[in-house]
Amino acid sequence: MNHDTLGSGLVDTRAGLVDRAIFSDQQIYEKEMETVFRKSWLFVGHESQIPNNGDYFLSQAGREPVVVTRDQSGEVNVLLNLCTHRGMPVCRYDKGNAKRFTCPYHGWTFSNNGELSGVPLNTEGYGGKLERSRWGLIRARVARYYGSIWATFDEAAPSFEAFLGDMGWWLREFMMGPDGEDDGLEVIDGILKCEIPSNWKFGAENAAGDLYHDVSHKSVQRVGLALTGLRGRHTWDADKNKFRMLNITFPAGGHAVRGNLYEHAMREYFSQWGANPEVDEYFRDAHYARQKRVGERERLLNRGGVVFPNFVYNAANRTSVTTWIPRAPGRTEVWKWVFVPKNAPQVVKDVMRNYLLRYTGPAGMVEQDDFENWGSAQVGAESVLARRLPMNYQLRLGGEAKWAWPEPWIGAGALVDEGVSEHAQRIFYDRWSEMMTGQPRPFRREAAAE
Amino acid sequence: MTTETQEAIALPFHPELKVRVEDFLAYEAELLDERQFDRWLDLLDDDIHYWMPLVRNFEFNRPQDEYSRAHLDAAWFDEGKQTLLQRIRQIQGGDHWAEEPLSRSTHMTTNIRVAAVTETQITVKCRFLLYVNRREEEVRLFVGKRTDILRPVGDGFRILKRSIFLDQSKMLFKNLTTFF
Ligand code: FES
Ligand SMILES: [Fe+2]
Repeated sequence: MNHDTLGSGLVDTRAGLVDRAIFSDQQIYEKEMETVFRKSWLFVGHESQIPNNGDYFLSQAGREPVVVTRDQSGEVNVLLNLCTHRGMPVCRYDKGNAKRFTCPYHGWTFSNNGELSGVPLNTEGYGGKLERSRWGLIRARVARYYGSIWATFDEAAPSFEAFLGDMGWWLREFMMGPDGEDDGLEVIDGILKCEIPSNWKFGAENAAGDLYHDVSHKSVQRVGLALTGLRGRHTWDADKNKFRMLNITFPAGGHAVRGNLYEHAMREYFSQWGANPEVDEYFRDAHYARQKRVGERERLLNRGGVVFPNFVYNAANRTSVTTWIPRAPGRTEVWKWVFVPKNAPQVVKDVMRNYLLRYTGPAGMVEQDDFENWGSAQVGAESVLARRLPMNYQLRLGGEAKWAWPEPWIGAGALVDEGVSEHAQRIFYDRWSEMMTGQPRPFRREAAAE
Repeated sequence: MTTETQEAIALPFHPELKVRVEDFLAYEAELLDERQFDRWLDLLDDDIHYWMPLVRNFEFNRPQDEYSRAHLDAAWFDEGKQTLLQRIRQIQGGDHWAEEPLSRSTHMTTNIRVAAVTETQITVKCRFLLYVNRREEEVRLFVGKRTDILRPVGDGFRILKRSIFLDQSKMLFKNLTTFF
């Protein structure tokens, strides 16, 4: 395969077809690192992980290891955690508080804003001429968005807000407390990390809008997980108000959201935490407080989505973030941040934490079945015979999606389909294909023509 | 875990109790490996706290931070009997794909030591090795340390608290569908 044209001809979103090689080919994977990951804004963490000056934690910007710090002036830095001398990670503790990091190999010392502040034998060995300003840790551009922290190493990338486009409201809404308070979440201490034997895109496309995979979660639906007192895994299952289920996509950036649009404004609250009245009371109050705060968009329930390429979130009381860290075509590291509303009473935090830890990750009664199935899907991505047929993304194919619909305030950049559809996955791969090949895409042209 | 040596010196040796505890743990492992989950559940106290913290990498002088805190931080498991029952019911339905078909497991416990005894509670420490084989090729090897608090009931015991310290900071496998 010619490296320059790698990625073209593999994705045909108009026909709903995606070549299996994009999940299993080593060269395609390497090109993804150079294009998709190098040129995107990537989620690295949350400000509640570094409340004080000097605080830091280790994270990943895609495949690259970073240390996220709050320096002595309170600024947030995202630094490539690789020594500029011989390349080893300078910080090797998951989190802590430090003014500087000293490399264990030869002792170059970097301050927590990345500057090279100390070099052994500086005078004798380098004649005092080592250009310190040039040899600091490589710094990312940083965006802070309602508590979330994002980074890119691409100087040419657009601003974070431009990168998000109309997805911005959804990310902002996700970072709100249940009462609609901006930046209303805090991280439960400890990032869950595990490894799955599948390509990173299976998790990302699933979060974009796979409303088709209920069978995957049959067992947890049967057993019941939500604290409604009912069966099922979602708290909103208890909400009896009528709604339309939407796949809201933002083709320009490749982002997508799964959302409910309720028929009536200012809908009443249905008990969703019936197993614990005190918690239910909190959510009842929060429900009405949110309606007052967020305006006409209060009719939307943000269920979750993807910020292209590898940030996915679950919302609607399942406040957690997952990043898919590509390690190889068939190997992905999964990082999970679990959030609770920061201003909620302790009992609410406890109950939500309990619910979330049973929902998410390798011990989660919901996501265990996702991980199993994506691992199995990888088998079909690697099979030479199976590759005779592309993967099928034709569910509700045929141009039913509409721009800025069903309400104009959903955003001019939103292309929306209703119901169980693979529309959002098509948009995801449309954007992927554009980044890989540099060729403009059908949905993008449509957006420009509007 | 740093106080182990002191405890060993301070405590009397309970040879007869130790034999009974070892037998109990072997029986428990047998039930899990034979997938007799309902009978395993009977060995758990109604108030059991089943806990497997996350493991983190820290400076030598911060050993207290290595494990995430119970009831407060993130964890692999931090739950009670009701949830364990739900997990078992999930596995028993034939539709929990992560365990359908069922994986094979072998639980081994070793270095079993009665660390403390009161009228109502027996603290037992051990090392575990759990081998899981799933479908054809998937192998998961879990090695770590465990501290159990047992409650004497008649001739036997009930597990009142199980703390599982896995020797992995990043979980090297995709799922934790087995009980420890
Ligand atoms: S590798 Fe860091 S100082 Fe040499
Ligand atoms: Fe799922």
